Amino acid sequence: MSASRIFWLAALLVLVVTAAAAQTPAPKLAPSLGLEPGAMPPVMDQGIYAHAIFSQLEGRWNGSNTEFRWEGQGWVGTDYDKLWIKSEGTLSNGTVDDGQQQFLYDRAITTYFDLQGGLRSDIDSRPTRNWAAFGIQGLAPYFFDLEVTGFASGEGHLAAKLEASYHVLLTQRLILQPQIELNLYSKADPARLVGAGFSDIDTGLRLRYEFSRKFAPYIGLVYQGKFGQTAIFARQAGERTGDFRFAFGVRVWF
Amino acid sequence: MKLSAPLLTRRRFMQRLAGTSALSFVPWPMRTVLAAPVRTPVLSGTEFQLEIEPVPMNVTGRPMTATGINGQTPAPILRWREGDTVTLVVSNRLSEPTSIHWHGVRTPSPMDGVPGLSFRGIPPGETFVYRFPVHQSGTYWYHSHSGFQEQTGVYGPIVIEPKGGYTQAFDRDYVVMLSDWTDESPETVVSNLKFQSDYYNYGQRTLGNFIDDAQSKGLSETVADRLKWGKMRMSPTDILDVSGATYTYLINGQPPRANWTALFRPGERVRLRFINGSSMSIFDVRIDGLPMTVIQADGNDIMPVTADEFRISVAETYDVIVQPTADRAYTIFAQSEDRTGYARGTLAPRPGMAAATPPMDPRPMRTMTDMGMGGMEHGEMPGMELSSEGKRLEGKVGVDNVAMMPTERLNRAGEAFPAGRRVLTYADLRATRPGGDPRPPSREMTLHLTGNMERFLWGFDGKKFSEAAPIVLQRGERVRFVLINDSMMEHPIHLHGLWSELENGHGEYRPYKHTINVKPSERLSYLVTADEPGRWAYHCHLLYHMETGMFREVRVV
Amino acid sequence: MIARLYRPFMMSLVPLGLIACTSSQPTSVEPSATVPLGIDLGGSGPVIATAQSQTPAEATPVAGQLRGHGGEMQMAHAGQNDAHGTGTVNSVDPTQHKINLSHQPIPEIGWPAMTMEFPVAPSIDLKAIKPGTRVNFTIEQGQGGMYEIRAIAPAGGGR
Repeated sequence: MSASRIFWLAALLVLVVTAAAAQTPAPKLAPSLGLEPGAMPPVMDQGIYAHAIFSQLEGRWNGSNTEFRWEGQGWVGTDYDKLWIKSEGTLSNGTVDDGQQQFLYDRAITTYFDLQGGLRSDIDSRPTRNWAAFGIQGLAPYFFDLEVTGFASGEGHLAAKLEASYHVLLTQRLILQPQIELNLYSKADPARLVGAGFSDIDTGLRLRYEFSRKFAPYIGLVYQGKFGQTAIFARQAGERTGDFRFAFGVRVWF
Repeated sequence: MKLSAPLLTRRRFMQRLAGTSALSFVPWPMRTVLAAPVRTPVLSGTEFQLEIEPVPMNVTGRPMTATGINGQTPAPILRWREGDTVTLVVSNRLSEPTSIHWHGVRTPSPMDGVPGLSFRGIPPGETFVYRFPVHQSGTYWYHSHSGFQEQTGVYGPIVIEPKGGYTQAFDRDYVVMLSDWTDESPETVVSNLKFQSDYYNYGQRTLGNFIDDAQSKGLSETVADRLKWGKMRMSPTDILDVSGATYTYLINGQPPRANWTALFRPGERVRLRFINGSSMSIFDVRIDGLPMTVIQADGNDIMPVTADEFRISVAETYDVIVQPTADRAYTIFAQSEDRTGYARGTLAPRPGMAAATPPMDPRPMRTMTDMGMGGMEHGEMPGMELSSEGKRLEGKVGVDNVAMMPTERLNRAGEAFPAGRRVLTYADLRATRPGGDPRPPSREMTLHLTGNMERFLWGFDGKKFSEAAPIVLQRGERVRFVLINDSMMEHPIHLHGLWSELENGHGEYRPYKHTINVKPSERLSYLVTADEPGRWAYHCHLLYHMETGMFREVRVV
Repeated sequence: MIARLYRPFMMSLVPLGLIACTSSQPTSVEPSATVPLGIDLGGSGPVIATAQSQTPAEATPVAGQLRGHGGEMQMAHAGQNDAHGTGTVNSVDPTQHKINLSHQPIPEIGWPAMTMEFPVAPSIDLKAIKPGTRVNFTIEQGQGGMYEIRAIAPAGGGR
């Protein structure tokens, strides 16, 4: 688990993404707009914007105990280039589990999809792992929000994560959102209770009410399941392998 | 600040001493004491002093600070006379740079008021003197061309009297300026749209709509329709980017409940000068009970057309004459195209009267024609291929749709007007005189109006302003501009400095316009004589489209 | 420690939600007492047959008649809109029948001291008014909403 190898790999992936970006037919700044020196351009279309969203900020209750889960992302940048950060984790019984943070460079490559590359750090109560990350994020046909990311660690562990969600408008403000997250790993990592292969699923059906676009409390049903080797590790540690919980939280962005 | 003094007759010298242009001889601190600008809602003559400054505004009940001119928004009505040379001393009392553009008025390029193209703008605390001859008459307007000041209130009407006299008689004359106001800052509005492009769309299709459609049209057809739109990642409910969810629509700066009233005596002919001075709103205007005779479009005479309703896009003007004969009030009703709100005023014989406000028409929906796939059932186009330009644009970050089959539909004002109402269309506009330049165009230039709704960026040919080179025209040449709107929203396209002669089937009696509203997936063309040299702005007049990239320079060399 | 904070955190979301709910609605306002009236710019005057020029060519010299303010229309002379002022004539424009003067405040209509141009009633002979003269004058709001000088006479005395 050489940290320097990880960072070199991450840097390589960022370069790959940048090179891919250079190949994409993204228009470059016109060489000379011929403006008078010191004059402002007539329109400022290269603005930098920043936003952040918590799509999950919830308590999860299964009748006996409650966990707290967060999942969010934020970005700053222009229409084409952004710095992106993602974070998720679950807090239960005073320990943080399933923590994943990603720090990415994001480049818009097609109408609906962005290419992302950078670093993933699994920071929680268990041993920290670092990975290089590479993937795409965007809006797929039929309005599915999609994130597909591949990871590689210094020891040759590979991983993948798929996240998809969809929203159904029951009314203009009452919105039902099914969501699913899948994780796969090429090799087991017992210290983190992660097995090889298809490892875990975190899926939920959330019903939110948008008081405003930026603030929407919700209730929902979530299921967290572990499979294969991951399930074995979980049972050995005294944890449940399949867990239905009732969720209540708020979706907020700014 | 430059003051040129070509012929200093005694009369002009005396006027100068008394008038505002004498300010140049006076040290700055004394100027404000000597000559406070004339603060009346109508300014006439040939010398004007305009101060752009913060102005209190309260439209929703929440006190806000808007930007205006001489203490008011909308700014004062400027009355000019054709043939005069006007001098306008514009002072910037804001803390950011400003500018004024005289929309539709042909001026020499340095007087056109676009920072970065015409001049460097007016920095805070400074003054700029505009001075140009007026060679046209009609209804026009003026507004800031800096930042989002047009949205926060720097806009006002211009009325230019014809030098020979009017050709249509009327007894009363009112300016009806339509606009939109939001308490949110325009920067926040754009930022919201960048993150969630349907932020202001509270008219989307819900499960309830699905069930209704399934009951009326059948389940399989409803599912097929949803799949068709879903595959394109488009929504047929996208009408206007910013809606009544945040906007209050104003008539001469007044919200509907203020009941702005224009007085008349029954039997009189009343001229109404409609100006759409909004930033993002297209209005459908009608006066129930009064047919309107449209006599001018964009300041130019047209053969009178009687209509019950007209659609006025951003920056357009329509002059109409109505002749109310009854001793009652009439409601001037301007509903936004997406039916999320309306501006309302009253035409009445006495103040305090009001007529019933009609309910808004049903919200329109985009059709497959608007997507450039008219007539085909499932969006499959056997045997139809995109043009080579279309293929180049498809899939680019700045383009979310390329119209497969753009249509020419100047004889339609838009979709979903209730039957039985005569709605004015571009095909109805016929000039009263043949155009001044009889030559056919020597070349043709095609531009695609493109955008990416999801990312909220807009442009021409897939490129934002900062990514594209200027369009160069030779002085004196006659060019045909062909516009193909690949997006599914209307874009009012405005060319500064030169007339756009819309080719609408009337041959040499084609109308002279300054702003042309191109419908979704429409293809239209207009002729331009590049007779005034300079660097001219060319852009969509939806302010947030312009600021996110839908802008070009047209350089006449 | 995070576990201890977690419960109050979840509790605090409830009032946050209520605040967000109420703050997004604008308050309604009482309708104003007086109705804003449109400014009538006046009638067309006598109409002509030829259409206006649209072309960008240089305008031919103005030979036609000037449009009178109100022309043959009846003047709505209610007599209630008079205001009186004192000022100094800066310039006289006989062609447009206007004078420019700097006047003292006119409290009757709430005007501060200003320098401005006024159209003058047609019956008044402008030749009798010299620039530099101190004058008393009467103005009235005409059909277009514009104030017009109805009477003007030299004021006695000095500054």
